Amino acid sequence: MYDFGIKNPTSVDDVKTALGESDDGQFLAGGQTLIPVLKQRLAMPSDLISLARVDGLSGISAGGDSISVKAMTCHAEVAANADIKSAIPALAKLAGGIGDPHVRNRGTIGGSVANNDPAADYPAAVLGLGATVVTSEREIEADNFFTGMFDTALNEGELITEISFPIPEAAGYIKFPNPATRYALVAVMVAKFGNTVRVAVTGAGPCVFRVAEMEQALTASFSPDSIKDGMVPADDLNNDIHASREYRAHLIGVLARRAVAEANG
Amino acid sequence: MATYVARNGIGENQRRVEDFRFLTGHGHYIDDMKLENQAYGMVLRSPEAHADIKSIDATEALALDGVLLVVTGEDWKAAGYGTIPTKSGVRKFKDGSDLKEPPHHAIAIDRVRYVGQPVALVVAESLDACRDAMELIEVDYESLPAVSHQSEAIKDGAPQIWDDIPNNICLDFELGDEDAQKKAFEDADHVITLELINNRVTATPIEPRGALADYDAESGKFTLWNASQNIHANRDTIADTVLKIGKENLHHIAPDVGGGFGGKNGVYPEPILILHAAREIKRPVKWVNDRSESFLSDTHGRDQVSTVQLALDNDGTFRGLRTETVGNLGAFCGTVGPFTPTGGSSRTQGGPFRFDGIYYTAIAPFTNTCPLDPYRGAGRPEGSYQMDRIIDYAAAKLGMDPIELRRKNLIPPSDLPMKSPMGLDIDCGNFPEVFEKTIEISDRAGFEKRKEASEAKGLKRGFGVCMYLECTGGGPKEEAKVTFRDDGKVELSVGTASTGMGHETVFAQLLSGHLGIAMEDVVFRQSDTDATDIGGGHGGSRGLEVGGSAVTQTSRQIIEVGKKIAAHRFDVDAGEIEFEEGRFHVPGTNHTMTIRDAIDSQNDPDSLPDDLEPGCMNISSVFERGIISIPNGGHACEVEVDPETGTVKVDGYWVVDDFGTIVNKMLADGQVMGGIAQGLGQALMENIHYDESGQLVTGSLMDYALPRADDMPRMVIDYYEDAPTEKNLLGVKGAGEAGCVGAPPAIVNAVCDALKEYGVHHIDMPLTPEKVWQAIRDAKAAG
Ligand SMILES: Cc1cc2nc3c(=O)[nH]c(=O)nc-3n(C[C@H](O)[C@H](O)[C@H](O)COP(=O)(O)OP(=O)(O)OC[C@H]3O[C@@H](n4cnc5c(N)ncnc54)[C@H](O)[C@@H]3O)c2cc1C
Repeated sequence: MYDFGIKNPTSVDDVKTALGESDDGQFLAGGQTLIPVLKQRLAMPSDLISLARVDGLSGISAGGDSISVKAMTCHAEVAANADIKSAIPALAKLAGGIGDPHVRNRGTIGGSVANNDPAADYPAAVLGLGATVVTSEREIEADNFFTGMFDTALNEGELITEISFPIPEAAGYIKFPNPATRYALVAVMVAKFGNTVRVAVTGAGPCVFRVAEMEQALTASFSPDSIKDGMVPADDLNNDIHASREYRAHLIGVLARRAVAEANG
Repeated sequence: MATYVARNGIGENQRRVEDFRFLTGHGHYIDDMKLENQAYGMVLRSPEAHADIKSIDATEALALDGVLLVVTGEDWKAAGYGTIPTKSGVRKFKDGSDLKEPPHHAIAIDRVRYVGQPVALVVAESLDACRDAMELIEVDYESLPAVSHQSEAIKDGAPQIWDDIPNNICLDFELGDEDAQKKAFEDADHVITLELINNRVTATPIEPRGALADYDAESGKFTLWNASQNIHANRDTIADTVLKIGKENLHHIAPDVGGGFGGKNGVYPEPILILHAAREIKRPVKWVNDRSESFLSDTHGRDQVSTVQLALDNDGTFRGLRTETVGNLGAFCGTVGPFTPTGGSSRTQGGPFRFDGIYYTAIAPFTNTCPLDPYRGAGRPEGSYQMDRIIDYAAAKLGMDPIELRRKNLIPPSDLPMKSPMGLDIDCGNFPEVFEKTIEISDRAGFEKRKEASEAKGLKRGFGVCMYLECTGGGPKEEAKVTFRDDGKVELSVGTASTGMGHETVFAQLLSGHLGIAMEDVVFRQSDTDATDIGGGHGGSRGLEVGGSAVTQTSRQIIEVGKKIAAHRFDVDAGEIEFEEGRFHVPGTNHTMTIRDAIDSQNDPDSLPDDLEPGCMNISSVFERGIISIPNGGHACEVEVDPETGTVKVDGYWVVDDFGTIVNKMLADGQVMGGIAQGLGQALMENIHYDESGQLVTGSLMDYALPRADDMPRMVIDYYEDAPTEKNLLGVKGAGEAGCVGAPPAIVNAVCDALKEYGVHHIDMPLTPEKVWQAIRDAKAAG
């Protein structure tokens, strides 16, 4: 680590002030990504703005047709939340499958979504469920949020405050873990809202993405058989020692079918 | 706490006494140590696989606040230190010429030969100052062509790693009777050939390597605390051969060591570098690897490419076996490195099966990779993988039953004792009974039903077995020293090294059982050149075999002395004294004396006969093993394969081991389970991968997959105890490595069994989901 200062604001306004007062401040949420990065000296922020004591940044509230998860809510809370388990079980399952108990009790949804790791789970939920990312400045639709590898629509200093998930009619999430990291080698979220179906894939490409061809086929018939091999071409997928792009393309089809089957109960 | 006296020390599941310390964070590891005025060392490692070092400029680094010293190859040249030698047991080429041993300095001199090789040591007031300094050291490298794969390294025109070592070949080797093998091949109905890769893996002990060096300028003596498995031998090498300070001037100690598995066996550069630094700056210096450095610089294991050929008849009778191996050594000879693919892999060729002729050859070349050295099993896992894979492969090719093939060819007990075609002295055992017991406990009868249940879920179920035969190794001698202290405690020092296996428990259990003293009175010391004169450390499953035998031998000698003391007190002949459950007594009389009485009187001259001196019960003895033992056993496993994704789940595991006498079943079970976990890791996920240019691709746990608890099946572990060996005092055969000897072939056999309907009969380890999926796809495409 390089030296850095630490600030502990207690309100969203204070966060902005603290950031303004820092040369090169960076938010610290659960630290499950940021701390390892600092330890390896891959980043050198002047100050860490800890979000731990900021009022109103944590918790889950269920509305009529959506569930809102505040940014500092940790994965374990999402996994265990009764409202989420009954309204969007696929989301609870996703959160319960992130990392290990330590990570789930420290890591936060805001940190995960802001970080947009290409192999992270939450981006598949946000995009697949068509969630809204609420920030200190505005509301951003999922479709406009994830802009590239480790890249999002967030402006410099923009703070995620909550994520609002519409409640689907049915949803399924299947993750194929990377054998080493157990992040997603490939994972697919499928969600059905009346006549629309959303399919989001994480782990397979440089950034989470939707699969229009699968969505159309599933809109016509929400059944595993609607998913055909080859609906996602291998060309632009990740290719590394853990999986070739061909294997990832194949897995997308398999996992999408299983996600639909799961959604159908 | 109730006083516990082991009944006879053998066969009791005494719980591990060290675990409370380990599990409550009270273990004492290198990283827990801090000496007054201690400085910190960090190693700048080569980013290049093969390059000339044109210059190293540390001026800016040295100018930083808190930076005390930068050591480079230039300092090493000036100091005239020696090189780190190999102790390989095989030292001659087939033609009788000497093995080619390149100079292995603790720090790169003029050229680097693998990524991770130490190029500079930085010493500073803090680790952060070290890191800052490392960023400022400028090394000018001129890249050279590199080669990382052993099969490429031996080709004409391959990059030369050492100017004077043609085709990079360190050593070649042969064992067995080639004429007999050839004749067997000619006579046999079939010869089946299989090319195998035994994948490169690393030990990944939970505690990374580290050391703390101290130098006392007044006495000229050094102390080195080192996370090492091999304190005595490495002291000699470091002090006498490399630093030339004389071994009497180096006190070498290992505090608690968190796992070794062979990876902490050898002499490594870093402890030598910090000893040098401690003398230079006259302050203690501590260095601890981080996890990424461990991947780069801990010696790796396995990495053999072999062609295995099995000759057999139509009725399944094995006739001959021939194996040709090319084993990667890395850029230098490891401490035992060249032995592993040669002698190490050769001795157990043929397993517990009958053959007319066996012939083994090996070539051991250098490559631009981290040196290789023993990793749990060191050659025997490779041997059993070759044997048990070729059996299943031949069975598949010839439409035979792999279980029947084994049954037919196992060496019957009536052939024992025998000398194996590879020269192993197989004294006892009952291979057919061990094999049948393995099959029996694995519930073969229920397999078809389980297979149907899997099929209903779209999964393929397979069953695989392995009948392994292995041998112990490591230093043949061991010392056990007992000192009865004034405070009533009994100090037991043994020259073995526990890196977590439970020596503190089992040796105390043995001593307690032999002498009838309370276990909690035993204070265990190990891995300290001041505690015992000699010490063979850890390796080759030798702990109980030689260390336990030494404890037994010393105990017996103590009892003999005690008898003399008792005889003196009761005024009888020592021959009349009997010793039982901690008491000396004269049968038929009421003369009894407890061992405690004898101990208490050992310092009182009046209580001693003329031929005994005060302190006479404090005894040290050295046990020497004549011939290595032959553990053997059967592994069986069931897997479920998801043919759509290629995922393999090991769903059931059964083992019957013949480790001779089982002293503590709980500890033996732990050894077997841990070994299976490492074998499962190698079979399914672990892989050290260098790209063609010699860059390490799997340099962290983000890329190197290790098995986790939920990858492990339920394991049923049983023992065959009716054939204790007479080669040591306990009848034990060595348990430490067997698990990872048996597991890889059993698991791969089970996967191939599951996939036989597709025509998939072999996949190279690790059987990652993608490889399994690809194999099914290829087989389908081939029709
Ligand atoms: C061992 C291990 C295993 C893991 N396994 C998985 C896995 O299987 N799947 C998976 O998806 N993830 C996994 N993770 C990552 C984990 O989910 C992290 O929690 C997550 O990536 C980051 O969340 P955090 O709260 O820790 O964020 P931090 O590490 O604190 O921050 C991450 C980044 O987000 C920024 N940030 C944080 N909060 C906000 C906010 N509210 N608004 C704007 N920017 C913000 C920070 O400045 C930083 O740049 C794993 C992590 C570890 C250590």
